[in-house]
Amino acid sequence: MTKTPSPFTAAQDAPIVGRNLPRLDATAKVTGRAVYTVDIDRPGMLHAKVLRSPYAHARVLSIDAEAARRLEGVTAVLTRDEIKGLNCYGTYVKDQPIVATDLVRYVGDVVAAVAAIDEHTAFAALDLITVEYEQLEAVFDPEAALDPSAPLIFPAEPFAAFPEYGDGASGNARSAHNVSYEFRYQTGPEDAWDECDHVFEDTFAFSRMNHMHLEPFVTVAEATADEIEVWTSTQSPFPMRKELAYVFGLPENRIRVNVPLLGGAFGAKNGPKTETIAIRLSQLSAGRPVRYCMTTEEVFLTLSQHDAVLTVKSGLKADGEFVARQSRVLLNGGAYADASPLVAEKAGYRMPGAYRWKRIDSVCQAVITNTVPAGAFRGFGATQATWASERQVDLIAERLGLDPFDLRLKNMKDLGEDFVPGETPIDSDLKHGLNLVADAIGYRDRNRSGNRGMGVAIGLKDGGGVNKPAQARVKVTTSGDVFLNCALIEMGQGGHSALCQIVAEVLACDPQRVKFARVDTDSNPFDQGTNASSGIAVMGRAVLQAAERVRSAVLDFAAEHLELERESISLANWQVIDAEGSSYELAPLIMNGFGGTGFEFTGDGFYKARSSRRAPLEAPCIFWEIGWAAAEVAVDPETGKVELLQLVVSGDAGKVVNKLGCRGQDEGAAVFGLAQALFEELRYDNGELLNAEALLYRVPLAEDIPRRFWSITQEQGHGAGPFGAKGMGEGGMLPIAPAIAQAIADATGAQLTSLPMTPQRVYNAIRDAQATKGRG
Amino acid sequence: MTPDAQDSPSVGDEKLTVDLEFDLNGSPERHSVPTSTTVLDLLRNNCGKRGVRGSCERSVCGACTVLIDDVPVAACSTFAFEIDGTRVETVEGLAAKDGTLSAQQQAFRECGGFQCGFCTSGMLMMTTALLRENPEPDREEIREWISSNTCRCTGYEMILESVERAAQLGRTPQANGEPQ
Repeated sequence: MTKTPSPFTAAQDAPIVGRNLPRLDATAKVTGRAVYTVDIDRPGMLHAKVLRSPYAHARVLSIDAEAARRLEGVTAVLTRDEIKGLNCYGTYVKDQPIVATDLVRYVGDVVAAVAAIDEHTAFAALDLITVEYEQLEAVFDPEAALDPSAPLIFPAEPFAAFPEYGDGASGNARSAHNVSYEFRYQTGPEDAWDECDHVFEDTFAFSRMNHMHLEPFVTVAEATADEIEVWTSTQSPFPMRKELAYVFGLPENRIRVNVPLLGGAFGAKNGPKTETIAIRLSQLSAGRPVRYCMTTEEVFLTLSQHDAVLTVKSGLKADGEFVARQSRVLLNGGAYADASPLVAEKAGYRMPGAYRWKRIDSVCQAVITNTVPAGAFRGFGATQATWASERQVDLIAERLGLDPFDLRLKNMKDLGEDFVPGETPIDSDLKHGLNLVADAIGYRDRNRSGNRGMGVAIGLKDGGGVNKPAQARVKVTTSGDVFLNCALIEMGQGGHSALCQIVAEVLACDPQRVKFARVDTDSNPFDQGTNASSGIAVMGRAVLQAAERVRSAVLDFAAEHLELERESISLANWQVIDAEGSSYELAPLIMNGFGGTGFEFTGDGFYKARSSRRAPLEAPCIFWEIGWAAAEVAVDPETGKVELLQLVVSGDAGKVVNKLGCRGQDEGAAVFGLAQALFEELRYDNGELLNAEALLYRVPLAEDIPRRFWSITQEQGHGAGPFGAKGMGEGGMLPIAPAIAQAIADATGAQLTSLPMTPQRVYNAIRDAQATKGRG
Repeated sequence: MTPDAQDSPSVGDEKLTVDLEFDLNGSPERHSVPTSTTVLDLLRNNCGKRGVRGSCERSVCGACTVLIDDVPVAACSTFAFEIDGTRVETVEGLAAKDGTLSAQQQAFRECGGFQCGFCTSGMLMMTTALLRENPEPDREEIREWISSNTCRCTGYEMILESVERAAQLGRTPQANGEPQ
């Protein structure tokens, strides 16, 4: 009993979870010492560059790369000749080859790649590759692509596997011309429509953004025919390992995926991007390490959000009670399926919004077009669904002469009410949140003079991923130093810190004593990936269990060796406390008990929601992620310019684990929503992407943020995660665009149905509203 | 080489080199580099300053911001030969040699003025330049300066608060180890 206890002594009295602690990665990040994949440097490392298609749709007739192969400093050239026998990749649909084989399907599709002693030489080699193309007719618009006369972008059906759904849900690949996946969900009696006094149908357009994570897609690979090791910027190391095993035909234990810190992801870093190219080039370069780091321009040509056309038909009773909703959503999936099937499922499933319906019939199709592939993006289909769902509530309110806020409250689901049969009941008080943001902004007493107006909106998504398992391991050294070993990826959200706080809470120790072990698939327990706001609610449960098991093992050991009642002792600061409050240092006890150089107590944890055939999507969701927002704008009717005066966003953390983290998630997500609402988009002109580079692509800056912008973190306490916590990563994005749209309508009468709400669109909508008013 | 050097299409013209001497975070540096080398390449690859982050390569995002004779500059779009004879500062020079964080670093740490951290080095250098120019900036001036740089994670409010806090810490040097 010699070691002095650590100066951290508050563990027993004050909880660690919920405190305003600086993040554990703070010092590394403010000193520049944080290590990202871009910083990985291996001895003898080569550099890769890629040749991309200049055509949206073309047949590759021939590739002549002989001159490139002969260039001094070039170690390998990768064309379709070098991928024979390797599989295509893709989340559900295995449709994307490492480099183009017979067809290129969008401007930017990868045709060839080069590894050389430096990037300069690699670029020079690309110039020496000659590709002969036969241009084909291309299609860019999802509605046009559905027409049987449109070019068929995948003449042969790629291998695909889809989920088996439960009650009311169904999925169907290739249901129509150029459709990669169709999801449908139905519930309730069809004759509910007969009860409706009003039926309204409206169509909404949703724009497409780039993720614009500041760290590009980047991989360093060392690979032979038998063994692959990568350092890569991915959100999903284990699914990546599985995909690489499939593509390269290797056992999973011959592939090691190491993941340093990520410089942002926002959904983009799921599935292979730079990985397969770097690996194949390394294999072709006698196993020398190859680094492939994209430029920002290449990132724009690699993945985007889904733009969408959403048609919503809603039936109501005369008093405004919602009865039935039918919706048809077309997602522009771009040239390869990527995550489109899952985004289609989620967009379709989330169309009911926060409201009570007797009948729901929702169809969503992901359509293949000759544009940049679309995939996972913060919000994941819910942003699209919320835009249409919430916007239509506002349009209906105007038509019926009701206040849109009151119409929402009248039809909003209660805490504990089913979302749909078989699904997890709603686990937040939705009305409480809506009142909270409305009151925060002064909605009820608003002053609409000077073309000012306010809007309120709500968005929700089933959070925590689909049928997602997570495993974690906690181990403690003889002296009480703790390792947390799990594959949660730190991409900015603060997940590593929050999970370490959970461990510290259980072991009653200083969070600084908990180290998040480095992420690599050889050493970590399995995880399905850091996505769907699952870090706290799913991985957090596995971590909690692992920590509890360690605590239990330590206390069992101490009770036996100290001859104390097991139930009477507790753990704090690596000391055992008995019923009288006397403390016993654990380190000497462990040394006595185990001898040698000591021992490590280890605990494993696992969590997964139970599967259920009654649940429409394989398993009930882990929690409901909610975003509430209220906005105030001033609109210049002469120019259509919208000034955002106030914006308040709120999420329900259930229980806060890290205060700064929760706030940062809501505010960061809200600013994504703000940008989507007002200006940020990938601009296409007849298939040509006009602004695929940082100079032309407008992302929000500090000057775009309203002078009154704040977040309210609720702790309603109903979450399924540790201590009642829920995930916080995406909810804040969902309600922003509809809240701003309604604020514009409140100010001017202009009802916007397309994003972004540019001055031109707002101006035109004001003119339309005035014309309608004049006629009325 | 890094992803940042990518202009010249042919391999032959790398022969032209330039000799440079400059002060980096208080220490002398001497390098002979190709004329096409950017400051970002030089600092990351020749000087080992991996805290300097490259992203957009168009001097838009500000991730690569460093100070050259006190002026914030986009290292990705500045040629190395332009810094001959200058005083260059990077995020690695902010903390004291014993590791004590500067006021800016302490403030960003305490106020959560970062998430993924990729913009943080640039934000800290921009903050350093601002506080040298005006140790007591108001929120609008901070907003104007910080609008030079992109943060995709935070929504900026916590960065604005971090800069305000840095100014406050800088005015009371006893509250922190070493403000500069």
